[in-house]
Amino acid sequence: MTIDEENIVLDRLIICSKCHTLHHKVHIAKGKSAKCENCKKVLYHYDERILDSGLALGITGIILFVISNMFPLVQVEFLGHEQYVSITSMIFSLFENGFYVVGITVAFLIFIFPLMILIIYVALSWMMMTGQGRDTTKELLILLSKLLPWSMIEIYVVSILVALVKLIGYMQVHFGLSFWALVLFMILDIYLSKNVHIGELWELRNRIYCDKGR
Amino acid sequence: MIREDRIIDESKLLRCTVCEAVNLDKGDDIYCHRCNSRIFRNPKLSTSRAWAFLITAFILYIPANIYPILFSEKLGSRDANTIIGGIIVLWEDGSYPIAMIILVASVLVPILKFIVLIYLLIKSKTKRYKKNKINQHKLHYMTEIIGPWSMVDVFVVAILTGLVHMTTVRVIAGPGATAFVLMVLFTMFAALSIDVRLFEERDKNGSS
Repeated sequence: MTIDEENIVLDRLIICSKCHTLHHKVHIAKGKSAKCENCKKVLYHYDERILDSGLALGITGIILFVISNMFPLVQVEFLGHEQYVSITSMIFSLFENGFYVVGITVAFLIFIFPLMILIIYVALSWMMMTGQGRDTTKELLILLSKLLPWSMIEIYVVSILVALVKLIGYMQVHFGLSFWALVLFMILDIYLSKNVHIGELWELRNRIYCDKGR
Repeated sequence: MIREDRIIDESKLLRCTVCEAVNLDKGDDIYCHRCNSRIFRNPKLSTSRAWAFLITAFILYIPANIYPILFSEKLGSRDANTIIGGIIVLWEDGSYPIAMIILVASVLVPILKFIVLIYLLIKSKTKRYKKNKINQHKLHYMTEIIGPWSMVDVFVVAILTGLVHMTTVRVIAGPGATAFVLMVLFTMFAALSIDVRLFEERDKNGSS
């Protein structure tokens, strides 16, 4: 058996990401998804518009991300003093207080990585729709799968709520426009990570670029 | 058509961690046939790497709990709060749900992660005499999912530091926060560097 034949056989199989049960891929109807027999985790979808939704949601996400960084997230009032926080001002005040490790980590986890992921989604969808950038898409897909575990927007939103509950007895708390943008951004982020599987993107990429080459 | 049942040894199939493609285990260094990234190095090396990360994380866990994670200044007087101290204060103030969230996120999750990772690493060394009841892959998956949630406390400290810096009231992060951040990062590195080849062989099509 040659390597190519072997790879064709291997590509007909899929291993569940949760319990590592081996499955043979089956054809499924449009809009349906295949689930693992053992643990019910979704293995793959049949989604024709994976690129369209990737592009649209990616751009929406970038807009929401910009909004959530332009305005205050939360405002507090205490004895006539008003103070607000945004993602960037929070990171800067960590730096000002000398907490460089915390500041850099937080900056990566809730600012740089989420933004990079969105940009990668947009770039990937665009390139694969137009059929260009064969090697770039490969690099981007590899980068994407390495970044995904390190985006912590949803944890950050929960943390904002926890922090506010701590303050609520002492101060008046108002949510800013950015907070709601961030909540929408979080929902979108969760939707993307649940519905766009890396494996599907790779298969699509192989179909788009390798069939062309033949 | 290629006959597949004859030529593929099911116990030697691996899932690429980068692109999720199925690969055949051909020895120590395997490169994924779809994305060319190295899936796993020598399993012994990745085990000792995981141990190194885990021990580092465990050492960092001690200052993370001993040193205050935040200081709060009210009218000149300064209060230092450790993680446990913060939870106790919240509990006494009556905000039980928040106290529970922080207890779970910053105390139980890291401890659970340590226990699970140590269990997985030790289990992978010992010979498999009988079938395990716990699916080790599932355990590993769970630690990867719940791991990041221990960042809640760090984010809370960051938000409070950014938000509350008035002349009368101020909140500043404490040295415990730095140790805690590093601890979470190192446990995540440890979870990511575990080689799944060391886990028990998979059940065939879920018939366990």
